[in-house]
Amino acid sequence: MHVKVLFFGATADETGTTESTIELPEGTRADAALTEILDRYPKLTASRDRSSLLFAVNQEYARADEAVNEGDELAVFTAVSGG
Amino acid sequence: MRLMFFELTTEPLDVGAIARRVVPEECGATVTLDGYVRRFTKGRETEHLVYEAYEPMALKEMDRLAAAAKEKFEISNVSIVHRLGKLEIGETSVVISVAAPHRRAAFEACEWLIKELKRTVPIWKKEVYADGEVWVEGE
Repeated sequence: MHVKVLFFGATADETGTTESTIELPEGTRADAALTEILDRYPKLTASRDRSSLLFAVNQEYARADEAVNEGDELAVFTAVSGG
Repeated sequence: MRLMFFELTTEPLDVGAIARRVVPEECGATVTLDGYVRRFTKGRETEHLVYEAYEPMALKEMDRLAAAAKEKFEISNVSIVHRLGKLEIGETSVVISVAAPHRRAAFEACEWLIKELKRTVPIWKKEVYADGEVWVEGE
């Protein structure tokens, strides 16, 4: 299945893109999807821990065991700094 | 008129107008936070800031926070507006306005809302210095 992956701010700079499409095996959970994304873009964890990245599925913070489905919108970003 | 509003804009924010957009008749006080760009952060001088957002998710999170604040505090209305793009020193980056029958709940809700916004709403700031720039990562 194919999903869209969005990056913002620091993660967009580090991946060199704001949006990409990746292929994942059917039945992939959120945690495994993030692993796949981090394998593809190693710069994201070059200078920070995986645990400091935030991960959203369909515009909501994702639980690790949440199902990911064809056409979903994923997003990987750093701890937020608005205000 | 909508009683609660959540917006992202690249236009300058008019704090007074945002605070006065909703003045419910059952309320007696609106507490408004005017957050603006500071020149010095940890001793380093900022030239300007750039804000970016995951816009649809940020709006959903603002809506969720406002609903949670209404559950938690005796308040009537919440408005949150965040500016995006390039901001100069002293320009308003965020306005949170809380209307309540009585002021105490409005003060408490406003403080809670900005703390939560800084923790959960997907907006990022880039600090641009004379000699470099950095995307700020939250706590």
